[in-house]
Amino acid sequence: MILQFNHLQRKPAVASSQDVIDALYGLLEEGHLEQSQFARLRAHLDWIQYRHNFREPVTIVRVLDEKGDAEPWMDVHIDLRQVRPGELRAKLLEAMSRANPETRPTEDRIYLEEFTPFCSSIAWRFNGLYWHHLTDWERATGRGYEQALPGGKSDANDAAAVADSVADFWTLLRDLENHQRLPSEIFALEIGVGMGKRSGLWLDRFRALDEERSTQYYSRLKFLLADYSLATLERSRPAVSAHLDFCSFIVLDALNPMKTLAFLRHKVLYIHLTNVYDNLPDEELVRREGRLYLVEVRAYLPIVEANRNAESFGLALTELASTVQRLLEVGPDCFRDRKQGVDFWQEVWSALRLEERLVPFDELRHDALPAGLDAAQLTDVMSAAPSDLRMHLSSGALESFRNTVPLLHPRGYLQVQDIFISDLNDCRLGFQGPGKLDGSIVNWVNGVLLREVAERAGYDVHFAPFHYRKGSRTSILYTTQRE
Amino acid sequence: MSLPILPTTVVGSYSMPGWLERLKTEYFARRISRVDLDEIHDTAVKAAIKDEEVAGLDIITDGELRRDNMIDYFVERMPGVQINHASKKFYYDFYDSVVEGKLPHAPLGLAEDFRFLRANTDREAKFCVTGPHSLSKRIRNNSYPNEAEFARAIADVLNLELKDLVKAGARYIQIDEPYYSGFPEDLAWGVEVLNTLVEGVDAKIGVHICYGNRYGKPSWEGSYKYLVPKIFDAKVQQLTLEFARRGDEDLELLQELAAHFDVGVGVIDVKTHSVETADIVAERIRKALKFAPANRLFVLPDCGCFHLPRHVAFAKLCAMVEGTRIVRRELGL
Repeated sequence: MILQFNHLQRKPAVASSQDVIDALYGLLEEGHLEQSQFARLRAHLDWIQYRHNFREPVTIVRVLDEKGDAEPWMDVHIDLRQVRPGELRAKLLEAMSRANPETRPTEDRIYLEEFTPFCSSIAWRFNGLYWHHLTDWERATGRGYEQALPGGKSDANDAAAVADSVADFWTLLRDLENHQRLPSEIFALEIGVGMGKRSGLWLDRFRALDEERSTQYYSRLKFLLADYSLATLERSRPAVSAHLDFCSFIVLDALNPMKTLAFLRHKVLYIHLTNVYDNLPDEELVRREGRLYLVEVRAYLPIVEANRNAESFGLALTELASTVQRLLEVGPDCFRDRKQGVDFWQEVWSALRLEERLVPFDELRHDALPAGLDAAQLTDVMSAAPSDLRMHLSSGALESFRNTVPLLHPRGYLQVQDIFISDLNDCRLGFQGPGKLDGSIVNWVNGVLLREVAERAGYDVHFAPFHYRKGSRTSILYTTQRE
Repeated sequence: MSLPILPTTVVGSYSMPGWLERLKTEYFARRISRVDLDEIHDTAVKAAIKDEEVAGLDIITDGELRRDNMIDYFVERMPGVQINHASKKFYYDFYDSVVEGKLPHAPLGLAEDFRFLRANTDREAKFCVTGPHSLSKRIRNNSYPNEAEFARAIADVLNLELKDLVKAGARYIQIDEPYYSGFPEDLAWGVEVLNTLVEGVDAKIGVHICYGNRYGKPSWEGSYKYLVPKIFDAKVQQLTLEFARRGDEDLELLQELAAHFDVGVGVIDVKTHSVETADIVAERIRKALKFAPANRLFVLPDCGCFHLPRHVAFAKLCAMVEGTRIVRRELGL
């Protein structure tokens, strides 16, 4: 058996590693586990930082071979934060029973989909629902989405960080001017503006610096605020009300900004995103015994929560799955009373779990890898990574990056403030998602793969820890031209 | 050279296939031999020549598929340049290279590649060489007192190479100097060095000046106005410039330039995968003809097709040829 610690939380863990060992040996001695099963067991001790997530306290992930048959070894995940004192043995037994096709319970979960790669899971439709009906959600919870962030506010709005960002940009403009290369129009783009607070701070500071140094750059500025809907953009207008003559509000797909802004190809000098990449569709890759597997998921509602929801909302249990589908199609108006629709949505989201299985990953299939990443690059990356590893492919983030950099002017740069993994060893030191952040999904972004994709696109990417707030987990990615 | 009016050609490189990229990288990882790689290159070059011919180009290149990039192909052949072979992870990366002493005059063996091209096409052939200004920007100089002197030393070495190319039958040689646009302040000495490079070389000499195409994106932005008037001192017969991506802003410069040189007009944007129609190409040529006579114009893509997928590159070249034919018909030719 291999016992793997994927966290650094020794003291606060509810179940200690000794508890886990005792429970597993107990199951062996009692005959619940065969010696051959015990020998091939991989127990992963996790500490899921997100209080709201998609996991049971103990799960056993089935592993399939190329023919679709189950492999003999088992991947056991124990969330030491979620498991309650004294329940470890029972939870392990329950998970083992579920992993065995002969003893598996059939009526304790309401499945909402068939197994599918994570990026196409119904979970992402819930994520989309959240952003499209954000106002309803906020009204129901009584707090804005930024308040759901760790610390209750976004690091993006840190005044000192914004001032430094403006100063860097001003220095670039000055250099271009000194070389007679300053364009007549200075394009800057903020993707994912939210309430527009950062844009407002940035513009205030930029104008002040421009006046302070008498450089006449502000009057040449074309500041583009981009987000997924006009409704969101409307929310950002008040924050930039002093600069409206220089602002344009643009509805844009963060996965492909070029679709909307192709006319600005090679023209934008500064592009900034905060907390966008961590919320884009994602896949997870697992390496076990030298082989690669893709994580497939199946969304479900545990039967206890499903019964409770059905009763609360006057539905038969058999109607629950179809009502969820209707919710995802039409939003909270799926109920006659909109408020009831939001309540239903919140209850279902809270109960939503993801069952997982590992399927062999064929990295040579063109559509198996995110665009911009080929099998040879992945092999190189994996050769320097820990042998047993679970990591995010960050497909959405990679796609977004690739479709954003063509907008950059030859001297322009991209800055992304987000939660990045810049060393794959860190994948074994903590949980990188998926987690639930209010009504949305959060995943750490695989900066190592991003670096690979960036290099082939002609950029070096660098990660600077966000030092403006103590304890911040965010970093700032910035690009430089690759020679 | 016996060519139709508005001759069509490529700037130099043709689409680099993904499989060839992987094999080149395999070579650096010591997983395939030099002999195998040479054979692979020969096959790929023949395929590029065939594509150029089928697309209908009047002047053919070898597609530069033997080259990892526009710098290293020359740097690794140039005696006196020290290369850190470990500095390259991906074949397209630049070597970290340095010159610590005087550059010796020694052959680089480019003529052999030209002979291969010549042996595989009956059409007019062009051979492309990266110019001394651009090379001097990528090789660290720890020997010469300044960049200009260093570039001149490179030009002296390459001058012998150009003469060897002429001996091998080259009648049309293109010098690539994209770094002019990145360092316009260098142009005065850059042109002097260019003249050193081409001195006594009995061939039609063109100079390609663009705004960069590294990784399929521009390295600089600006206006070609910086070329005038210093470029008029260049002892070359042709300039090729990019206009498709950058638009018409500098087109009127053609009037002055065409008084001194033939001008290759970029009518294909190589930084987008969208394929131009023949009509768009024809329109771009017509615009150029407002400022320069047809007998002074050559028709090309903006820069090399290196970063385009093969099917896109081929379709763009077909559109370029067809667009040129439309204009030729309009001119009654």
